[in-house]
Amino acid sequence: MRMSGLVGASALAFILSSGAFAQEASLDLVEPIAEYKIYVSEKLAKLVEDTTAFTDAVKAGEVDKAKELFAPTRLSYEAIEPIAELFSDLDASIDSRADDYEKAEADPEFPGFHRIEYGLWEKNSTEGLAPVADKLLADVKELEGRIASLTFPPEKVVGGAAVLMEEVAATKISGEEDRYSHTDLWDFRGNFDGARKIVDLVRPLIADKEADFLKTVDANFETVDTTLAKYKDGDGYVTYDKLTDDDRKVLAAAVNTLAEDLSTLRGKLGLD
Amino acid sequence: MQSSKDLTRPRRGLDRRRLLSGLGATALGGSLAGVARADTAHHTVADAPIANVASQLDSVPYLGRHQAGVVDARPANGMVASFDVLARDADELEALFRTLTERIAFLTVGGPVPALDPKLPPADSGLLGPVIRPDNLTITVSLGSSLFDDRPWLASLRPKHLQRMMRFPNDALDADICHGDLSVQICANTQDTTIHALRDIIKASSRQMILKWKQEGNVPVITPGPDGRAESARNFLGFRDGSANPDSSDVAEMDRVVWVGPEDGEPAWAVGGSYQAVRIIRNFVERWDRTPFGEQERIMGRTKMTGAPLDRREGSEFDVPDYVSDPEGKATPMDAHIRLANARDEASKAHIILRRPFNYSNGVTQSGQLDQGLLFICYQANLERGFITVQRKLNGEPLEEYIKPVGGGFFYTLPGIRDASDYVGSSLIAAARGA
Repeated sequence: MRMSGLVGASALAFILSSGAFAQEASLDLVEPIAEYKIYVSEKLAKLVEDTTAFTDAVKAGEVDKAKELFAPTRLSYEAIEPIAELFSDLDASIDSRADDYEKAEADPEFPGFHRIEYGLWEKNSTEGLAPVADKLLADVKELEGRIASLTFPPEKVVGGAAVLMEEVAATKISGEEDRYSHTDLWDFRGNFDGARKIVDLVRPLIADKEADFLKTVDANFETVDTTLAKYKDGDGYVTYDKLTDDDRKVLAAAVNTLAEDLSTLRGKLGLD
Repeated sequence: MQSSKDLTRPRRGLDRRRLLSGLGATALGGSLAGVARADTAHHTVADAPIANVASQLDSVPYLGRHQAGVVDARPANGMVASFDVLARDADELEALFRTLTERIAFLTVGGPVPALDPKLPPADSGLLGPVIRPDNLTITVSLGSSLFDDRPWLASLRPKHLQRMMRFPNDALDADICHGDLSVQICANTQDTTIHALRDIIKASSRQMILKWKQEGNVPVITPGPDGRAESARNFLGFRDGSANPDSSDVAEMDRVVWVGPEDGEPAWAVGGSYQAVRIIRNFVERWDRTPFGEQERIMGRTKMTGAPLDRREGSEFDVPDYVSDPEGKATPMDAHIRLANARDEASKAHIILRRPFNYSNGVTQSGQLDQGLLFICYQANLERGFITVQRKLNGEPLEEYIKPVGGGFFYTLPGIRDASDYVGSSLIAAARGA
C-alpha cells in the first residue's frame, strides 16, 4: 500500500532532519502544511456534499441533472488528488478509468465516477448505476474520514504540486480522462487550482531566494489561465473537443514546464 | 555453426565474474571462426551482452533436456510473440509443433536459403541474405492456459499452476496485448535476426496459428570495466536490473529455481519445462526523470549510479544488503522495490525467479509521452510460488506511481527437444494420445 510510505513519512522529524537547512524548513513548513490541511478538508466537505447530490440524481434516474452535476462534483476531487492518491485503493475505486480493466467498460469491476459517466453519456441512462453510486458515495466518505486522521507528510504536500501537473501531462491532455462527457477542462481547472494553492502556501518561504523560479512558474500558470478563460462557459467550461489544436499545444507545453519546474519545489524547500 | 561448444544443455558454468574478466583478452585475439565466442557461453542471464564481441556465428544449441533461451545469457535483442492456435486435435497440434521445430532447427543453426522459381514468392523474407547465420538466435515455445482449457482432450494435462494471468491492483491490462494460446520468445544478437525468425515462423505456420500480439525489446550492451567485469544492464528507469538474479550457469540452482522436475507434482509430460511469466510494464519516464534522485534510490532500494545496496553505498551491485541490521528501513526503506521483492531471508529463497527482461521503446502515447518500459520475462518451476507471490509482495509499492503493467501473459515453456528426431512438445502429444 502507498500508506506504507506514510508510516515512515509521518515520522516527520526523521524526514525533515536530513540536510542543513532542512531543520529550518521543517519549522517554516508547519504553518503552510496546517493551512493546506484546512484547504483539503474544505474541498473534501464540498466533495461529500456534491457527491451526495450527484449520486442522489443518479439513483433517482435524473439523467440530465446527473450530467449537469458530474463535472462540478469532480472539481474538488481533482484539486486534492495528490492527497487522495495516498490511499490507492480508494483512488482506484473512485477515479479509475476503463483502461484499468481488461474488459474496459464491459468489465464488472469498473467502478466510480467514470463508470457512471459512461452510463450517463454513452447510454444516456442510469440503469444499473444505483449500486455504483452508493459505492462511490461510501468511498468518498471513507476518504474524508481517512484524510481527517492523516498526518500530512510535508514532502507529499509540496510534491503534490508537481504530481498534479504529472497527472495532466500523462493522461489528461489527450482528453482521455473524461472521454464520454468531454468535461476535461473542468478537471484541468481543479488540477491547476490544487497545484497553485500549494505553490502559494510555500511562496513566502522561497520568495527571496527563488524569485526567478516563482516568476517562471507564475507565468506558466498565467498562460494556463488565459488559455482556459477562452473556453469558459457559465460556471464551467465547454467540452474538450472545442479546444483548438493550437491551444492544446500551448497547454501541453505549459503543463510540461510546470511539471519540470515544480518537481524541484521539494528540493528547494530542503525536503527529501 | 556449433563452434566449439558441446551440445548438451544447460552449460556448465564457471564463476560468472571470473570468466568475464578473461573475456576481453580472448575476444581481442579471437578469430572469426568462433573460438573466442566460447567464452560468452559462460555469461549468465543476469549479465548484459558484452559490447563488440557478438558475432553472426554465435550459436546456441537448440537440442537438449530443456529449451534454449531460458538459462542462456540474454543477447541484445528479444521479443515475445503470442499466437492463437487453431489445432482441433492431437494430430493438428503435433503438426504445429513439428513445423515450429523444423523452423527452429533451421533458423538457429543457419544455412543457405532455398532458391525457388522467381515466378513464385521467395522461400524466405531475404532479410538476412542468401545464407542464414545463427546470430545467437534462440526460439522458445510456451503454451498458455487457454490452449488447454479450450480443448477437452488437453484439459486434464494442463500444468497445475498454469492459469490466465490475473489482474494485479496496479495493472491496466489491454486485452489486445494479453494472454494467448502459445508464446514464442525469440532472442538474438540483432533485431534483424529476431524479426527474420518471426516472419519465417508466421509464414510457415499460417494455417496453424494466428499472431495475436508481440513486443520487442533489447538489453543495452555493456563494455567491461578495466578489471574485465561487466555490470548488469540498466532498465529505462536508469537502474541496474538483474543484480540479484540467481546464477543461471549453476545447474543445480537452475534445477531448483527454474526447471520443473519429477518431484514437483506436475503432469509427467511437463518435466523439464518451466513457467514463463511475461509482463509488458510501461514506465512513466518523464515523471520518473522529474523525481528527486534520493527518492528514486529509496523507491528502488539501490544506488542509481553503481547499483550498490543503500546500506553499503561504496560497494557494488553484487553486494548483498543486510536487512537484519536495518530492521526499521533506515538505510533501505521497508517498501523499497528490491526489499519487498526479496527480503533476503530464508523464507524468500522459495520465491526466487530467473528474470530475463528486455527494455522496450514503442512510440508516443496519446498524451505525447514516451511509451517505454520493460518487457519483463521470468522463469520459475512454480508460478504460484515464484512470480505470483513476488508480485503480491510488490503490490502497493511506491514504484507503482511510475509503472503500469499493461499486457503479457502466463505460459508453460515446453520441455526441450531431446535430439534431431524429437520435436518440441512431443511429450505432451504422447500424453494426449495416451489419455
